[in-house]
Amino acid sequence: MTHIDLKVKESKKISFWGSVISDFKRNQSIYALLIPAFIFCILFYYYPLFRGFIISIQDYALIGESSWAGLTHYKEILTDMDFWRSLKNTLVIGGGNLFFGFIIQVLLALLLNEVMQNKLKRFVQTIIYTPNLFSWVAISGIFISILAPDIGMVNMALKQMGLDTINFMTSEKWITAIFWFLNTWKTAGYGCIIYLAALTNIDPCLYEAARIDGAGRLKQVLHITIPGLYPTMKVVLMLNLIASLRMFSQSFILTNPSVVDKTEVVMTYTYKLGLQNFRMDYASAVAVVMLGIIGVLTLFYQFVVKKTER
Amino acid sequence: MNIQSQIDRTKGRQIFEIVNILFLFLVVASMVIPLLNTFALSFSSDMGSMSPTIVLWPKEFSIEGYVTLFEQVKIAKPIINNIVVTIAGTFLHVSLCTLTGYALSKEDFGAKRFFVAFILITMMVPLQNIMIPLYLLYKQLHLINSLWAIIVTNMITGYTVMLMKNFFESIPKSLGEAAYIDGAKELDLLFRVYLPLAKPGLATVTLFQFVEKWNHFMESVIFISDPKKYTLQVALKGLVVDSDASSSATFITKNAQMAGVVIAIIPLLLIYPFLQRYFLSGLMLGSTKG
Repeated sequence: MTHIDLKVKESKKISFWGSVISDFKRNQSIYALLIPAFIFCILFYYYPLFRGFIISIQDYALIGESSWAGLTHYKEILTDMDFWRSLKNTLVIGGGNLFFGFIIQVLLALLLNEVMQNKLKRFVQTIIYTPNLFSWVAISGIFISILAPDIGMVNMALKQMGLDTINFMTSEKWITAIFWFLNTWKTAGYGCIIYLAALTNIDPCLYEAARIDGAGRLKQVLHITIPGLYPTMKVVLMLNLIASLRMFSQSFILTNPSVVDKTEVVMTYTYKLGLQNFRMDYASAVAVVMLGIIGVLTLFYQFVVKKTER
Repeated sequence: MNIQSQIDRTKGRQIFEIVNILFLFLVVASMVIPLLNTFALSFSSDMGSMSPTIVLWPKEFSIEGYVTLFEQVKIAKPIINNIVVTIAGTFLHVSLCTLTGYALSKEDFGAKRFFVAFILITMMVPLQNIMIPLYLLYKQLHLINSLWAIIVTNMITGYTVMLMKNFFESIPKSLGEAAYIDGAKELDLLFRVYLPLAKPGLATVTLFQFVEKWNHFMESVIFISDPKKYTLQVALKGLVVDSDASSSATFITKNAQMAGVVIAIIPLLLIYPFLQRYFLSGLMLGSTKG
């Protein structure tokens, strides 16, 4: 009995490795094509990820031997007010970006969908997508100029209306709103076009049926168009959520000493700690914690989406 | 009664359409006016660009701003660096990701699921999260303060690989099989059959990467500290953000600042209208990153 069992197992084993080898021989050229990507991913994604974690549990020395530190750095994070401030800013700025971006993108898509003149529709689409092509530096440059305290367009207009001028870029009161505005301005067209594409996939029969039932235009939008966008919204919101949590450039460019309290986000804090102050071990711990937070929030988001689906 | 309500409805509809178009024009204006302002200021004279009026047309037309930019700010070197990394980076990125995507689009090899997962997972590990170990690795590879650092970063991304994989998978298998029976080798198949058919996909991916590389910023901030190796975005930040916020030694007029912005956005504006449909199809195929 056992003898037979053993034999079966063995033959299975051989056939497994045998099939691996024959698969490898048969598809040599495919595996050859995958070698560069395999090496690249190991070297530039997996190894740094692993090394980052190792550094975070060391007292990392730039020169010489590093010693183990256990969870000391992670404990330090708990009482590091600067970290909590940057996390709060990440959530406030990111949350606003997510919220306003979502509203504007969906609204624009719905409104554009009502435009019957195709040329006009295309024209608006073309224009509103352009800001998404520009770098954060270029966008910041444009708006620093427009919002400049003395000769900027907006402050000129305020002055003409008899109001006080505002130094937007150095005002703690205004800077968060400016961040939200710039992000919404940049991403409006991009999201709008994705939603518009999703709209074309909605079955026209649904509208016809609703019309026959006597539903007006607004009712059709509320009960057919918007529900038809749910699947796209889920994906776009999730990608934007992750992007918001990883924000770097916008904050890095627009942070200045007078608003740092409101604009420093976790990723720029990591940069400052690790690559300016060279506290690489502690900065790595912060990066690992942030990866964890992103993971948890993504899972939580998917959990909520699944719950609401039922 | 019924007829009356229908007339009301079409009237309401008309009003809605007018308001709608007005609103959309306002949105369009919010995107066009800042651009117009930027272009106008860049072509204004030094004095004209600093005068306190709302500028939508060049004030005292001149190219002083551009002259300052090239002679005093010495923007030529960063521009050349940017062109180098954009061309080399886009070329390497597209070729490597296409090869990988092509291999992954094949159906009959055993480790397909492993490799797909292996590459997908890398999308969860962007530069931001691994900048410190990556910095140390680049240091060992002598890539710090080299333009190669920017070319190598994100040379292969899960996003592009998956885009190309999906694209190749949408090409009918029968075409490849026919050529295979005629005795074509795997690489022949790729270059003679699949690549010509994948041109729209290649165009999309190339354009996205071109924009990405031209606009790259974080890589430069992290890996480059030698001013000779600065690329355009970093130089531009020094010009429009830093010189504005703090009191730097040299005062830079607004027309020069805006000229810098114009140089940074003009290549993108030039390629966009011609290739818009590829941009759109790319957006449909996938999504984006921060």
